[in-house]
Amino acid sequence: MRKFFFLALTLFQLFIFSNKVLGQVYGTNTFEFQLGNLPFEDDRYLTTSYDQLNLFYDTDKISFFTKVEQFLTPHKNRNYFELTQKQFQFQDDHLRIRIGNFYETLGYGLLLRSYDIPGSVYENEFDRTRYTFLRDLEGVSVNANGDWFELKALRAEPLNNLIPPTFEPDSVRRPDLVEALQGNFYATDQITVGGALVRVNTPFSGDFQEYGSVMSDIQLPFNIQLFGEYAFSTSSQFLSFTSQNSYALYSGLNFFKDSFGLSFEYKDYSNFLLGSAAFNDPPSLIKEHTYPVLNRSTHVVNTASETGVQLEIFYNFEAGHSIVANYTSATNNVFLRQQFYEYFLEGSYKVNETLTLKSFFDFAKDDPKLEDNRISVGFIVDKSFTKSQNVIVDLQYQTFDRQFEPDKTQNYFASLAFAFNSDLTISTVFEATTDILLTDNPNTFPEIEEDIRTWLGFNSLYKINSSNSLAVFAGKRRGGPACTSGICYEILDFEGVELRLNTRF
Amino acid sequence: MKILLPVLLFLFVGSTRIDPTIPNFRLKDLNNRTVSYEKVKGENLTVIDFWATWCKPCIISMPKFAEMDEEFKDEDVKFIGISIDGPRNQAKVKPFIKSLGIEYTILRDIDTSVMARLRVSAVPTLLIVNSDNEVLYMHEGYKAGEEVEIREKILELLEK
Repeated sequence: MRKFFFLALTLFQLFIFSNKVLGQVYGTNTFEFQLGNLPFEDDRYLTTSYDQLNLFYDTDKISFFTKVEQFLTPHKNRNYFELTQKQFQFQDDHLRIRIGNFYETLGYGLLLRSYDIPGSVYENEFDRTRYTFLRDLEGVSVNANGDWFELKALRAEPLNNLIPPTFEPDSVRRPDLVEALQGNFYATDQITVGGALVRVNTPFSGDFQEYGSVMSDIQLPFNIQLFGEYAFSTSSQFLSFTSQNSYALYSGLNFFKDSFGLSFEYKDYSNFLLGSAAFNDPPSLIKEHTYPVLNRSTHVVNTASETGVQLEIFYNFEAGHSIVANYTSATNNVFLRQQFYEYFLEGSYKVNETLTLKSFFDFAKDDPKLEDNRISVGFIVDKSFTKSQNVIVDLQYQTFDRQFEPDKTQNYFASLAFAFNSDLTISTVFEATTDILLTDNPNTFPEIEEDIRTWLGFNSLYKINSSNSLAVFAGKRRGGPACTSGICYEILDFEGVELRLNTRF
Repeated sequence: MKILLPVLLFLFVGSTRIDPTIPNFRLKDLNNRTVSYEKVKGENLTVIDFWATWCKPCIISMPKFAEMDEEFKDEDVKFIGISIDGPRNQAKVKPFIKSLGIEYTILRDIDTSVMARLRVSAVPTLLIVNSDNEVLYMHEGYKAGEEVEIREKILELLEK
């Protein structure tokens, strides 16, 4: 990889000095300081600081990017200062070549998906190292496109983002080698067809695994769009949808007319966890919620065996009101049959230009989480006083039966936020739970604490100017699963003070 | 780590700009066709709005931007929406945006790489860019009434 990098640097240097092009340097920096601790842990008042610098250099067709991360704690084995990403890119109207770290998604992500979540800082649960949560590829990628086609080719190693940068040897973080080719052809203005081939070399295996896929996107009359992808292992029987085979089938349809919209999707995944680090990410067909009580209850797709559907309809009224209804179901059949289903209804009512009321109702059953009769409700008031002042009150409640508990589990969420002149926002968040998995202190085993557990935190965000913003948190923050842009990861509880400075330059 | 210092030094050698311009990024549109920023940008100003189907403030702000897109059409101001929805929500983007009555160009940044390159860290974030690709204004977040400030900014920049 280092050879590639120096080759790219040399080419870049030659280009600079032969063309005397005007370049530009720009970037972002995130600095985060924490003083606090995880609940139930002995390491009290731990001070940590994390810094992430993203540096770009652009000329007309050439660009260069580096990401540097640093983490400091009193524990030397957790500390690091590393160049975690570097990239050389050439791009013109029809060709893009990338060497180093890059992101790429093939088709609908059935065979390969990488991603970045800008601004995210992930804390590893095992050794409590903090680093950016992304899944990139390291290698070479070539993209070409014309009026009637698009081609992608890559040879790269996907990152296993659950292993922190401190882990040695570094090669363990990128265990698989992926070679892929994708072609899409625009048969007409309404029809796109394509296919992809992926070859994976996993560690401790002398053989390659090979996968293929076919995909299409068809625009039909009456504002209907049909699309889908079928991916399969070349060692499995083609178009054989039995549990012994390795395949993934995803298809969908959408439709709109005036203020009404609808989407319907179907999935059937079987033995489709690719590579040792699972670098693929087929569409989960699960509603993505921003409401905290629902976001942390998100069902995580199991590509070993899952079938399901998702139907969503929405209507946006001219006066600014809206209704969203969603039905989702998924069935896993790995060792035993497990079911997940969810009914979601959300309404937003715009009373006038300064007052909006919003409410949601959700009913779900989630066997993998052992949750039944899960009911979640919420009510949000958004009121503006002048064009520069605003207040939001957000109340949410959730209850469910857990199979091994006699009593119902309950979650409470309340938030009050004020915004002033779009430069300053302050808020307070209160949460409470009777969830035995959270109320119990694991250090006092075999005693089991069942008292209600609460979190109270205060947030402020101050935009110092157009380049700098400062966020401060003080209090207790509830952790748990969090999902952003379809990516779910675990956030740890925190108790203390946190300061984050974001800078653009 | 040994290569870090030479790389950083190298980057600062030669002529550089301090105020960065928007690079000519390429993204897919709602019909799965790859388009470049240069092909869809406005002749005078371009307003780029980063949004997602799951982002509540985005949904409130977008009909306001649709009104402004219509209002400033004759001034060669173009609005572009960039959805950062991942594969999970791709099926919903098109019908959702159409049901909101949005007619301006929508692009899809599935892996959020363009979002990172444009130094955007949250949705909604709105950028106003001139014909030389210089970012003249950036606005993070949205609450009712802020469309007035954005509209005034467009008018102010048009007068320059």
